[in-house]
Amino acid sequence: MAIAKNRLKEYREKAGLSQEKLAEKLGVTRQTIISLESNRYVPSLELALKLAKEFKCRVEDMFGI
Amino acid sequence: MIGKPEWFKRRKYTGWGIMPKTWQGYVYIAVMILPLIFFQAQPYWSDRTRMIITLAWAALLAADVIHIMIKMKRDERERLHEAIAERNAFWFMMMVLVIGIAYEVASNAANQKIYVSPFMAAAVIGAVIVKMITNIYLERKN
Repeated sequence: MAIAKNRLKEYREKAGLSQEKLAEKLGVTRQTIISLESNRYVPSLELALKLAKEFKCRVEDMFGI
Repeated sequence: MIGKPEWFKRRKYTGWGIMPKTWQGYVYIAVMILPLIFFQAQPYWSDRTRMIITLAWAALLAADVIHIMIKMKRDERERLHEAIAERNAFWFMMMVLVIGIAYEVASNAANQKIYVSPFMAAAVIGAVIVKMITNIYLERKN
């Protein structure tokens, strides 16, 4: 399944976080963040919710199909 | 136990197990492997003593490596990759086993014998049982 809308990079940069820092906060590897941002990996619901919580937005604001 | 997960990384491209990531990992390998050589080099120990001590140390090492691997953190993407890689490795092994059993049956049938290596048969039957148990467990769990 491909994600049509992916604004993770935009949210991360707006929050002034590096990929490494965000990965550390979420308990994932930097490679996972890179794969998410480049739309090569679809996050689980848990990870999507964690990202939404981190950036104080709704999941559908960040990702969409 | 003895080793810490942060000292190691999981082997991805060269088989199974762990490999050192930090200098502590290399020290751990040296400290855990050198005694095995030391035990073999003891001239005054009997063969039995040497074997018992070596096996006990090897069991401790294996238990610690398994402990490290269990404690090693993986995120969901890494877990997915690992599961797919393990599944593919398993399929390949299963294919070789089935071809091996078929070859054995065919070559023995030519000599009017029925024989299958018990190890190959146990591997296939064991895998079927493990798969069944895993599916039952997973279906009950979620």
